Amino acid sequence: MGNGNLKVGRVLRAGTRGFVIGCTVLRPDIPAFGSLVRAEGRVPGSTIYGLIYDVSLEDDAFVRHFIGANPTEEVVQDQRQNRQVPIEVSVLSLGCSDGENIRHRLPAQPPVTLDWLYQCTGEEVRAFTARFDYFRLVLEAREAPADELLAASLRAAAAARPEDEREMFLVQAGRELARLLAGDPVRLEGLLRRLRDG
Amino acid sequence: MTLELSRLTGQVQAMGEEVAACQRQHADLVALARRWLVQYADQGERLRHPARAIRAAIPTDEPLDDDYPLPTTPDRFTVVAADGSQIRPDRHGAALYYLINVGSLVYRHGSGEAPEARSEPTLSYTEADVYENGLLVDGNLLDVRRDLAEITQLADLCTVEPPGSTVALVDGTLILWVLEDRSEEWRRAKVMTYLDQLDRIRESGAAVAAFISRPRRTEVARLLYLASLEGDANRASREPNPLEHLPDRAVFELLSPGARSALFVSPSSINYEYYHPTGHGVHFCYLNLAEEGHNPVIARVELPAWVAGDLDRLALVHGAIVAQARITGDYPYTLARADELAFVSGPEREAFEDMVVTALLRAGVRTALSPKRYYKTLTRQGGRKRY
Repeated sequence: MGNGNLKVGRVLRAGTRGFVIGCTVLRPDIPAFGSLVRAEGRVPGSTIYGLIYDVSLEDDAFVRHFIGANPTEEVVQDQRQNRQVPIEVSVLSLGCSDGENIRHRLPAQPPVTLDWLYQCTGEEVRAFTARFDYFRLVLEAREAPADELLAASLRAAAAARPEDEREMFLVQAGRELARLLAGDPVRLEGLLRRLRDG
Repeated sequence: MTLELSRLTGQVQAMGEEVAACQRQHADLVALARRWLVQYADQGERLRHPARAIRAAIPTDEPLDDDYPLPTTPDRFTVVAADGSQIRPDRHGAALYYLINVGSLVYRHGSGEAPEARSEPTLSYTEADVYENGLLVDGNLLDVRRDLAEITQLADLCTVEPPGSTVALVDGTLILWVLEDRSEEWRRAKVMTYLDQLDRIRESGAAVAAFISRPRRTEVARLLYLASLEGDANRASREPNPLEHLPDRAVFELLSPGARSALFVSPSSINYEYYHPTGHGVHFCYLNLAEEGHNPVIARVELPAWVAGDLDRLALVHGAIVAQARITGDYPYTLARADELAFVSGPEREAFEDMVVTALLRAGVRTALSPKRYYKTLTRQGGRKRY
């Protein structure tokens, strides 16, 4: 988990349901699929929370030129560190906070261009996942691989808890999923298997 | 779309046939030029004086047909390149200004590190900036300022590199192109400023070279014609030269992979007026950048006298340029990236113009595009369709 000021990147474009940020390098674990992240809201002290559901690297004709050319290490590093920017990271908006209470709902306003996006701390992850109201927003998301995303984020949320609380957390999450997906047993089974297999 | 492509069909076909006919004739001329290159290879000293009179390549002590193989390069060396682009002043814009953006790349061969990439934009907007001797800084005036910004950036980068293993690369020529209709005093001032930066590069212990891709110069071909006339400059300037339009690179496609041609001295008058007296006399050679088994790729490389006359520096430049070009296949990687870093795209230019307009409004300046510019923005957005 991050230390609270770990910057993932800056907002490139945003809407109510989610936003896309750009970052310059891929560091170990950052940005990672299923990570809980936060951006500052327009109201001072407010926060917008979301889950990273896609990390994509754009190509261009110049980088394609080197695919079959056995490039030197200097060229590889130049293309990675200096040219392949920004790496685009897509985030699904899931909640917001006024500085005191976290609410699982779409934010009234998205973050604005060039706002920083931060990796959430373990404490923030525990606070956000103390309730499961955001499950429905994830399960209904059409732009994201919802089941994979929810499973990955729940595994990360379990890892943010003390070891003796992790299993109970996942069991409670599984019960909530069983309630929400009662009409779709096949999907529920797949999701629970993903959670179990970790 | 207003370009009537259907009306160009016949003209394009005719052009294709003409180019094909020229290529067939071209092969005969190349054979003739190469025969003369070998036949007069050791006539350099005798041709030196008349060559200058007819602005042909001036031979050095190296035999004209020599082929200097690719030297070994050190395990570690650095190539620094800079290139510039500009936003020209626009009389129809919201304000009168110009912008020069210099891109540069420092590439450390053998380090495994990411090269250092930079873009340095400079905005010029005061009366003193945008006018020079009463003339708007545009065209050649602006080109000269951009060239000076490029070479200054290169010199700045070279001064912080360790001496002896750095090559600075310029895209194009080392000879500052200043229009001859300017005053002698003005030309001297500009060229001397450029030469001051070459001095800084020399003092840093680096070498410098200019790289010209697919060169069309015909100075060596002119020299060969002169040689065939036994060095008679009067006849050479009077009689039609069969090699008149044959680019030198065609003659040197016989170079071995990685090899360079003999060195020559540039016959440019600016070279003799300003560069030679300061020790920067511009020499040039041709390089075959291709690897063994590939078609030749000939480039022209220009070097100041202090690089051409120093075997170690010359070998470093030769090896570094070939190494750089072989990264991409046929063009120095650092120059390709410096160009990319300097380039101001259409959307960037528009965003910058928006910034200018916003800044003017904040400062209380009411401004607008000229009517001409305004209607161009409407008509050139590409919305019109033809059925």
